[in-house]
Amino acid sequence: MDRRITLEIKNIRKESKSVKTFTFSYNLNAKPGQFIMLTDFECGEKPFSISDCTDNEFSITVKKIGEFTTRLFQLKKGDVLSFRGPYGSSFSLSDKVLLIGGGYAVPPLLFLSKMLKKYNADITIINGAKTKEDILFIENFKRITDKVFFTTDDGSLGNKGTVMSIVSPLLQNEKFDMIYASGPEPMLKKIVDMCDTIPCEVLIERYMKCAIGICGQCVIDSLGIIICKEGPVLDKEVVKRLSEFGVYKRNASGKRVYF
Amino acid sequence: MDKKLKVEFLGMNLESPLVLTSGIMGLSYSSLLRMAKNTAGIITTKSLTLVPRKGHKGPVIAEFNGGILNSMGLCNPGIEDGLKEVSEFKRYSSKPVIVSIFGNSIEEFEKLTEYVNHSEGDFIELNLSCPNVFDEFGLPISASKDKVYQIVKSVKSISKLPVIAKLSPNVYNIKEIAISCENAGADAICLINTVGTGMLIDIKMVKPILHNKFGGISGPCVKPIAIKLVYEAHQCVDIPIIGVGGVLTGEDAVEMLITGANLVGIGSGIYYRGVEIFEKINDEILQVLTENKYEDVSSLPYLK
Repeated sequence: MDRRITLEIKNIRKESKSVKTFTFSYNLNAKPGQFIMLTDFECGEKPFSISDCTDNEFSITVKKIGEFTTRLFQLKKGDVLSFRGPYGSSFSLSDKVLLIGGGYAVPPLLFLSKMLKKYNADITIINGAKTKEDILFIENFKRITDKVFFTTDDGSLGNKGTVMSIVSPLLQNEKFDMIYASGPEPMLKKIVDMCDTIPCEVLIERYMKCAIGICGQCVIDSLGIIICKEGPVLDKEVVKRLSEFGVYKRNASGKRVYF
Repeated sequence: MDKKLKVEFLGMNLESPLVLTSGIMGLSYSSLLRMAKNTAGIITTKSLTLVPRKGHKGPVIAEFNGGILNSMGLCNPGIEDGLKEVSEFKRYSSKPVIVSIFGNSIEEFEKLTEYVNHSEGDFIELNLSCPNVFDEFGLPISASKDKVYQIVKSVKSISKLPVIAKLSPNVYNIKEIAISCENAGADAICLINTVGTGMLIDIKMVKPILHNKFGGISGPCVKPIAIKLVYEAHQCVDIPIIGVGGVLTGEDAVEMLITGANLVGIGSGIYYRGVEIFEKINDEILQVLTENKYEDVSSLPYLK
């Protein structure tokens, strides 16, 4: 049975104007890619990817976007929140790897990069966003590896353009055992389409409610993959067969919303 | 599929007596398709309403020893989009589909029925028993034998499909309710929906766990209630019964069948045994048949 845990916020770190990392003292025993369901018992319950996890603490990194996250941003060190999880599938570990992150979907890749470093993997990271303000974990990633590339749509940091402007030339010159990607779905779609022969794992986000694989809310067409249980990390061979991937997702009512 | 599992239901030959019940994994065509491939005999959509509903805020679910408490709040994409999912399902599968509908008035049930008449659904199920929504019908709709009669009668008069009434366990007069359904022309009844409502508290934060505070109870703890109500209903009506509530194993399914059910619903069991539960239970039913020297599902005895 899944247990609910109530924890005090041990630390809050401001990552940018609209992003904060909340840290909690607890041995969550999570793997990179997994998520927790978080509630304050007031404003709802939402899934959050784990951005770091050690033997005695774990973190989530939150972008302020709506009512729930606005409420989170008002909380202080010592305030309490309730969790359940960790849930879902996780990234596998490989030797020579490329991590591609887009925008605010990067947090699970920070956790993954730390695990890969412990695993002594040869790590290359590409982190892209609209503008410099939106690029997360610049220093954290630089500590992980020398091979970090940044891209911004407006050129305010790193290469001007999308992550694909780096990915394409990189793949022509280097061989990777595995590509990991987390970001907006159209970006993920481009990466999956490009990775014909290279193994690739992507993290897919869907609206979640029960998170225990029964309500059907996060099930993705056309294979009926249950994202809260069998995802959020999926192998590209599975992803390629999902007619919904990169095309639409379902909102809280289950209505299709096209990308 | 093993021939021993075959059953007949309202003129249809089914591969298995197992039904995916409403509210579980029933939002999208691919989800329904996966349940059908996992050898459910019939699948049921989530209850569809005239307009889309987002449902309640979370937490919408809480587990406890023995079961699950939920207050999804009837989230669904609305009847039009919901029926599109049914059409898409039918492109890939010939398995029968029960379209579950929920209205806040007789007029709404009638409008919904018109939509289902023009769909590829095979049966209409009237959700008369959602415990999370209160309105002009009181608490819940199916507590009143007269209201149940009126709704079933109205729907039946315009429906082109067989009509199944889904009943609540939260009544003192299940026999009267079941008889009302039969008298109003229902082709079958399905029982039970979730029990309660119930409530769970987070002792550290001193708050109800569900955002909606109260929720319906399902899972293994409700099985004895379901068995008792199916037994009572079976004693007083001749129309077929879909028995639902806490069925996790083949033995549970056989128990439900000999109590009086013609088909057996699977819902929360998916939490306990995964989406493969249909295959697992079908296999286990076959074992129970062999162990107890029954020819097939259709030759199981009924409890008198």
